[in-house]
Formats: sequence, structure tokens, C-alpha cells
Amino acid sequence: MDNRTGLKKTYSAGLFSRVHALFSILKKLPNHISEEELDGLIKVLPEDSANSMKSLLKPAIQQASMPFLHMLSAALDETAAAKEQGRKVVLAPFNFPPEIIHAFDNLVPITTEVLTTLGVVSLEGQGERYWEQAMGLGLPDHLCSANTIDLGSMLSGMDFEPDAIISGCVGSCDVNSKTHEFVSLLLGLPQIALEKPPDNSERGFNYFKNNYIKMIGELEELAGEKLKEEKLRLVAEKVNRCTELYHDLWELKKQVPCPVPGIFSLFVCATRFAMWGRDEGIHTLEACLKVSRQNYESADYKSREERARVLWIYLSYYYDLVKFYDWMEEKNISNMGDALQWAFPEPLDLTSKETILDGMIRSAWNNVMTRQMGAASMSQRWIEDIVYIIREWGVNGTIYCGHHSCKQTWSVFSVTRNEVLKRTGVPTLGLQGDSWIRSMTPMSVIQEEVEQFVNNVINKSNRRRRRRSTG
Amino acid sequence: MEVLKELTTTIENEYVKQAWVNGQKIVGYACLATPREVLDAAGIFPYRIKALGRGDTGMADAYLSRFNCGFCRACLQLGLDGSYNFLDGIIETNGCDHLRGMFENWQYAVPSPFFHYIRVPHLVDQDSLQWFKEEIELLIAALSEHFAVDIDDQKLKAAIDMQDQIAAVMKQIYESRWGSGIKIHGHEIMALMVAEGSMPAADYLQMLETFRGEIEARRTLDCRARLFMGGAATDEIDLIAELEALGGLMVADSFCFGGRIFLREAAATEPVRRLSEIYLNNLLCPRMFMSYSGRKNYISNLVARSKADGAVLFHNKFCDLHGIENVKLKMDLEKEGLPVLLLEKEYGAGADIGRMKTRVQAFLEQLKR
Repeated sequence: MDNRTGLKKTYSAGLFSRVHALFSILKKLPNHISEEELDGLIKVLPEDSANSMKSLLKPAIQQASMPFLHMLSAALDETAAAKEQGRKVVLAPFNFPPEIIHAFDNLVPITTEVLTTLGVVSLEGQGERYWEQAMGLGLPDHLCSANTIDLGSMLSGMDFEPDAIISGCVGSCDVNSKTHEFVSLLLGLPQIALEKPPDNSERGFNYFKNNYIKMIGELEELAGEKLKEEKLRLVAEKVNRCTELYHDLWELKKQVPCPVPGIFSLFVCATRFAMWGRDEGIHTLEACLKVSRQNYESADYKSREERARVLWIYLSYYYDLVKFYDWMEEKNISNMGDALQWAFPEPLDLTSKETILDGMIRSAWNNVMTRQMGAASMSQRWIEDIVYIIREWGVNGTIYCGHHSCKQTWSVFSVTRNEVLKRTGVPTLGLQGDSWIRSMTPMSVIQEEVEQFVNNVINKSNRRRRRRSTG
Repeated sequence: MEVLKELTTTIENEYVKQAWVNGQKIVGYACLATPREVLDAAGIFPYRIKALGRGDTGMADAYLSRFNCGFCRACLQLGLDGSYNFLDGIIETNGCDHLRGMFENWQYAVPSPFFHYIRVPHLVDQDSLQWFKEEIELLIAALSEHFAVDIDDQKLKAAIDMQDQIAAVMKQIYESRWGSGIKIHGHEIMALMVAEGSMPAADYLQMLETFRGEIEARRTLDCRARLFMGGAATDEIDLIAELEALGGLMVADSFCFGGRIFLREAAATEPVRRLSEIYLNNLLCPRMFMSYSGRKNYISNLVARSKADGAVLFHNKFCDLHGIENVKLKMDLEKEGLPVLLLEKEYGAGADIGRMKTRVQAFLEQLKR
């Protein structure tokens, strides 16, 4: 029984320890493994883990997935070793850009949703036991599984605990910020709340900037060191390289058929959330770009039929990589990724510490979810971004996954769908499910709905459009 | 009181009709963080948007989703079906994700000629108090421009004084339950609180004073247990009445249609700064961060002073703010020896009342009452 939370210990290891153990093995894999070796690996892994590895390590993307796995492994290793090295671990939600933490020698960032996703993707039984653990405290079942799975594990008292928590969603997601607050209160961890006012003006930005500067002060106190310009600059240079690669990938997505594999959206957002401004992040993005360029230049890839270009306008489903990303690929549906990539990063001005910080603050202000749901109008900024991306990438169908917990997006989904259709003529499919819990909506149901949407809505309207244009 | 009955069952009440006849403008707001004194000072009738327990959400569900709070959906329903057509304007606040969605959809479907957004901070410190002060100044400017009214310090001071007087009388009525004999039901107190946002301030003060005068003559109520109730944003007077009929009387609460309405501690004297402090410092809502201990201590203090035997904490289905906070409150209040019942409910769902009553009955038995 954990004295602070009152939770009975019902299992022997927490999510972090289990994920870290698995990645300690995966990082030992050579940079290239043959199909035969992959088959062998899959046979020794538990079913849920094997399923994900089948997708992640398939030959077509292996060049990118290896650096990706190494990047994640580095993040996990650093977190695990932090205490021994006298460093402090700062847990933050996905919309909090980690580069500022990387700029401290004594701090290590780790991201709640990245941990949850790793647990769901790589562990036998996915994240279910940790979700149930949290429910056992009496928490409502309408919480966000992306937070609750990892935090539920932490509450068990059997997992790693950070040294501080940043509530980075104050103003853009109630459930996320409240769940992080709950955990910090229960575990007695220091909490830093970064508030974003719903005001798009410079006045709003300056208020946010002031909050961010105050947060740096708190981080300095936690780290026992001042933020040094030299280290900040080093990180900023790498941030700029990540930004450059992000935009290169963005440009490639405009090609038809789309040469960027759907699963790379997961790689890009994991990099953004955890290792932006780090060499490991750069290697992952470079590898994604390399694979995508090879695809673009390959005659086989070019001749591929593209039945639809589908954009997930908020979240995707992350609990079955094979039946989600690979299945769409097999069906010749280009998965253009989800809103978790819509960070719109800009290069940082490296002139001085102030200009670097100003750029990082703008990045945080514009980061995913903060930018859309933390805006003066949730629907307006979201719609503008969707419309922009539809036009940029030539998207012909959008899907809202309807993650149960996203009360803010759910509350303006109807308006958003109507406006997107009105402004672009592109239809939106509204689904329901939980992005991290497979038992809510089976993947087979999602596949069926997507298939019908592509066949009966996107392709029919494309045919109609073609008929009209040919008279 | 007949007038109270009308105010708590009718959206477009007699005061609203009278305002229309007199050509007085009416502006709607929903959240407790809205400084109504600014509207009072402008000669505008501030009307707090509510649903009065009506659970129908058919039209609203076409905009908000089934994953949004029933109270917000019910309010939106009334906005869409024309029940709030008497409003000359709406003030939005970022109370919570559901409320933001409600306002966005309302303005999208039935645009109001005056729509102003007050951005309420989630933290309390000197910077946020300054930000909120500026927000109030922006509200003053917007109202002055749109309605061609003049809002000066003198008028603001008068409006603040009026609300201070109201709070003082309300406090007396509210705390009259904390002695040995209880003469007012908790649902009557809630009705008074709900009425606060349905009528002009001067009339409200008069009604409260009349009510206070009548309490003394009342007989003492039977009381099986003294209950603290809190949580959800709700104006469901009938729900509280039904639960009180089981014998547990609500002697204190932390509802935003409840005792939190008359929390008005502030140090500043300059009117706008004072309003900023009144509304932000005393906003004991789980949407606020880094201030849990203040909210918990406020409840512990109320429980002690009202001699509550137990607490019932509600949350509307899909309300994460109250849903999560209630779990922490339960842990902490139970550590202090107070039994706590957590109840998740759908807003205005009459069909659910049987389940709620069973839970409360069982809780009363647990209290050995």
C-alpha cells in the first residue's frame, strides 16, 4: 500500500520500469535487421509488444525507426539515471516544449504522453492495468488516458517519480492540467503551472512570456543552477536544425502520392515532445527525411495508387500500429498525420540569450494544442489550421478520432466540421473512441468506418468533381 | 415566497419583463468570475445564465457533444430555443472547457449583438490580478461603447457597496443554520443564490431582508444529519430538495450557485482593482491552479463551523475539474474524520433521482443517522 495515495500495490512493476527494461534490450539491436531476424525477434516478444515491433521495424521504414528507438531509449536512460547523477527529472505534458529543460545541465525532461504511448505500444497488456489503478482511486472514467495511464502507474508508488511537474496545459486542456495537479498533490511533488491566456494579441503573449520567465526562475531553483547562455545556444542551434528538418518533411508531404509514411507523424511528434534540440532528435528527423526522399525518388512508390489523402484533425489511435498505420498504407490511403504535429516551429534568432528565449517562448505559445485550444476561440484557430493544412497538402478527407476525453475539441467539433466543409469542400468523418485504450472501440470498427468514408464519401465526391470538370 | 418560486422556475421572469418595458438593457453571463457590479454601474441588468434544472438538450447536442457537461448543454439548449432571446448581450468567461464551448456555439448559432470575452486567469498572484483588472477595464470600455453608457468610479463604488450589503445579509441567513435549530432548508438557500442572478440588486437586497425577517418565526426543521454539499456547477434546486427530504439537511456548500457567491474579501480601495481582487482572490473553483489548499481549507472551515456530519460532493458527468478535485477532497476530508460521499450525476436527469436517493440514504445510514 502506498501511504500517500492509499493505493494497494497490485502488480510488481510500473510502466516506466517496464518500458525502460524493454528499451534496454531494443537499443542493443544493430542498425539493420533482416526480415528473418525480425521474425525471430517477434516470436520471443509478448504479443502486444510484437505487434508494434512488426510495424516499427518493417524493412521499408527501418532506417528511420532504429534512430527513433535509440532516441527514445536515450530519453528513458537519462530519466532512469538522473537521480544517481544528481540531476532532477521534470515531468511535463506533450504541449510543453522540452528544449528549455534540455538547456539545463541538471535537469532531465520526460513527457507524460510519450511515456503512456510507449507503454501502450510496447507493453503486454498495454496501459490497461495502470488506467485501472487510477480508476481504483475513484477518479472518473472520462479522464484522458494519455495522462492517466502513466500517472496512474506513478500513483502506485512502484514507479519512478519525477522531482517536479509542469502543468503546461493550464488554459488549453482542463483534464490534462488537473490530472497533473492531482498527481503532484498526492505525491507531494512541486508543481509549476504555465498558464496560457485565451488571447491571441501581444498583450496575451506578454502575459504568457512573463509566466514563462517566472517558470525559468523556478526551474533554476530546482536545478540549483542558472540558465547559461552557452548551453542555451547549443540547444537552440539543434532546435533550429530540428525545425529545418520538420519543414523539409512538411514540404515533401505536398507530393502525390505522399512519400512520407504515416507512422512518421508519430516519430515527428515524439521528437517534438521529448528530444527537440538534441542530437538524437536530429538523427531521427534526418532518417525520416532520408526514407521519405528515397520514397519520393523511387519509381515503385511514385506509381502507387493514392485513393485518399486523409488528415486526422486532432489525435490518431495509438494502440495498434499495424492495424492503424500499416493498414491505411495497404489500402493506399495516405495518412497525413494528426494535429500533434502542428507545432509550426520557427527558427530561433541566435543573436542573444533574450532573442533565443523569446523564440522558445513563441514556440511554446504556438505549440500543439496550446495554439489551437488555448486560443481566444478554440474553433477559429483550429479551423484556420485545418484549412491551411488541407490546402498545403491537398488533403481530400479529414477525420476526427473523437477521443472521449477531449472535451475542448468535442465542444467545438460540430462548428469545426461545418466550417471546414464550407471553406474547403473537404468532408470530415467523426469517430468515437479512446486513442490509448483499445477496449473502447475495436480497431476493426475504426477500419470499417474509415474504409466506408474513403469509398463512399471521399472517392464519390472526387468522382463527382471529376465529372463536373469534364462537363 | 411566491416571488422566489417564480425566479427559480422561470427564465424570463417578471423582472426581465419589467426591464424590457422600461427599455433597460439585459446582459447575460454564466460564470461567478464575472464582476456584475460593472453591469450594475452601467445601469444594465446582469442576468446569470442558468437552466433551472431543465435537462432537455436535443438541439444543443447538435453543437456541443454528449461528452460535454449536461449543465452547459442545457444552458445552450435554452439559448438555441429562444428562451434567452431577451438578452441584449452576452459575456463569455473561460470558466472551463465546456463553458468555453457553450459560449462559442451559442455565438455561432445565435449571434448576440454584444459579445464580450473576459479572460479570467487560472492563477492568483500580482500579475494575474493586474491582468484581471485590465480585463475589467476592457469590459467597461466595451459596455460603454456598445450601450453608450458612462461607468465611472462613483457608480462602481455604489455597485460594490450594494453587493457588499447583499453579501452581509446573505451571510447572516446562510450562517443562521449553524446554531442548534435549523429553520431553513439548504435548497431554499440555493434558491436564494440562484435568484441572485435573476433580478436587479436593489430588489434582491429587499427580498433577502424580507426573507431574513421571516426566518425567526419559522419552526425548527427535523434534521437527521447535517450535510455539507459541494462540487458541480449546478442550479438544481429540486435535486437538493429531494435529497434533503431524506432527512439530511444541507447546512453549508461550495457550489458556484451557492455560498461562494458572497465571498468578497479584498484589500484594495480603488474600485476596479477592488473588483479584480474580489472576483479573483475569492474564486474558489477547481479551475484555479496552485490553490488547492485554499479551497480545501475553505471547506474544512465551513464543515467545522456548520458542524456538518458528512459531505456529499457532486460532479456532473464529464466535468473533469470537479471530478478530479472531489477525489482529492474526499481523501483529505476523510483524513480529518469527515465521511464523504462522491456522486457523479447527469444534469437535470429526473430519471436518475432514484439512484441518487439510494446512495444518499445509504450514506445517512453510514453516518448512523
